[in-house]
Amino acid sequence: MKLTPSVLELDLEEVEKRIRRFIREYVENAAADGIVLGMSGGIDSGTIAALSSLSIGGPRVTGLMLPEKETYASKDIDDAKVVAEKFGLKTQVCDITPVLEGFYKTIPIFDQADKLCKGNIKARTRMIYLYYYANKLNKIVCGSSDKSETMMGYFTKWGDVAADISPIMDLYKIQVRKLAEHIGIPHELATKPSTPALWPNQLAETELGIKYETLDLILYGLERFMTTEEIAQQLSVKKPIVEKVKSRWLSVEHKRRLPLTPKLEYRTVGTDFRLPRHTY
Amino acid sequence: MKEKIKLALAQISSKRENKKENLQKIEEFTIKAKEQDADLVIFPELSLTGYVLHDQIYELAEIIPGPSTKKIEELAKKTGTHIIFGMPELSEKTKATIFNTAVFVGPTGFIGKFRKMYLPTHSVFEEKRYFRPGYQTAAFNTALGKIGLFICYDIFFPEVCRLTRLKGAELMVCISASPAVRRSYFEILTAARALENTAFLAYVNLAGVEDGLQFWGGSRLVSPTGNLLAKAKYDEEDLVICEVDYRDMRPVETFIPTLRDLRPELFDELKKQSEIL
Repeated sequence: MKLTPSVLELDLEEVEKRIRRFIREYVENAAADGIVLGMSGGIDSGTIAALSSLSIGGPRVTGLMLPEKETYASKDIDDAKVVAEKFGLKTQVCDITPVLEGFYKTIPIFDQADKLCKGNIKARTRMIYLYYYANKLNKIVCGSSDKSETMMGYFTKWGDVAADISPIMDLYKIQVRKLAEHIGIPHELATKPSTPALWPNQLAETELGIKYETLDLILYGLERFMTTEEIAQQLSVKKPIVEKVKSRWLSVEHKRRLPLTPKLEYRTVGTDFRLPRHTY
Repeated sequence: MKEKIKLALAQISSKRENKKENLQKIEEFTIKAKEQDADLVIFPELSLTGYVLHDQIYELAEIIPGPSTKKIEELAKKTGTHIIFGMPELSEKTKATIFNTAVFVGPTGFIGKFRKMYLPTHSVFEEKRYFRPGYQTAAFNTALGKIGLFICYDIFFPEVCRLTRLKGAELMVCISASPAVRRSYFEILTAARALENTAFLAYVNLAGVEDGLQFWGGSRLVSPTGNLLAKAKYDEEDLVICEVDYRDMRPVETFIPTLRDLRPELFDELKKQSEIL
């Protein structure tokens, strides 16, 4: 197998069709009244907002914009609004700053300088808002995590990844960008640099230390059981870079699973207790 | 025996773990097919219960003949049709040994069954965790001709189809629960198996979504030259009526005489080599 950008090409028409069918059937089977999703103004959430609206109709989709003082950017709000208007979904803005300040004030060991711990509070607070709306409105929460960040563990446990369905979790970032343009997301937004918005000026590629163009091909190779030597050679990147990606991918499996429990009984939740996942 | 028969490719989406509702759907589709003069109505793999069942399969499996097959036998008698469908079969001799089985009934009752021989246990599939494999290919003499059965992943192993054909099957029926990412493989293999055996091949796949698996439908009847004679919609439920004319086989068998040219000694070599892979 030759690792070139062409391996990430998709039959976008078919992928769009499958995702729309997946969303529609899940919402129908769950007897939900619609979908709630977070709109950060970024590419993943914009794509999910668009796909949700195309699947079940914009009026049944609620897009929540959840800004906070530290990372507030009016451009993000504007970008989210462009998608919302184009795809006809309802939006609501909730400023989460007072809630965050409540946490900061009431956690005795709170450390203002630890931006990761502080940032994770933001992601988990956004999750609480999304699930409140979902419970109250009898809707489901639609997640916008992609395969690149999920494989790298580049998300907050029980935070931004928390959702009832994740329709683009099997697509790498580069593929999400292509799908976004295919379904009508403006080019400017489809190519906008990604950020989890946990602290000011945070950029995914800077933090991961690698461009998605390279990362996605490394992950694609790992997904297909290629060795780190083969991947490094084919992409003309140094082997330690590929090994670092592989090591990170493997070390964060705990973030992608239910909590581990010791095997004590006949059938154990999360390991050999295998049941169909019903939505109705 | 009839020279021409009408098939109904009953591409349904099953409700998981809901035999009652699925039996009702099987009845509705059979009645609709009969209204269009179908002689044989074919339903997908595990259509009685749905495909993604995990541990619940132990609650759903039944012996054959059992309560569900009896109901479908009655339906076959009532409508005067032959019916093929899929279900988890509980072994009569054990309490929890299960097969992935295709059941064949007709207006005179139970005709036979086929237990899936190759159980996919890779990627999203975990069939060996739950099923025991079958050890016999199946071809049945019926009023509609000699009909062979196999299931889904069996089609990847040409020997299953070959044996079915060598037992005399002129119409080979493959019931399936194939997810969309594998569509192109089945589109190639259905044509190949029909052509290399110069026989008709009816392929009936599930439609619908189960646990994120999207079954692609696309059920079809393939001619002995590998041509598509009829095709159901992709992804959605569909009922397609099509015709098998057994008289078409003779000219094909003279033009592509694969059965005449079979080399039995190669099968000995095949056995030897496969044992030391």
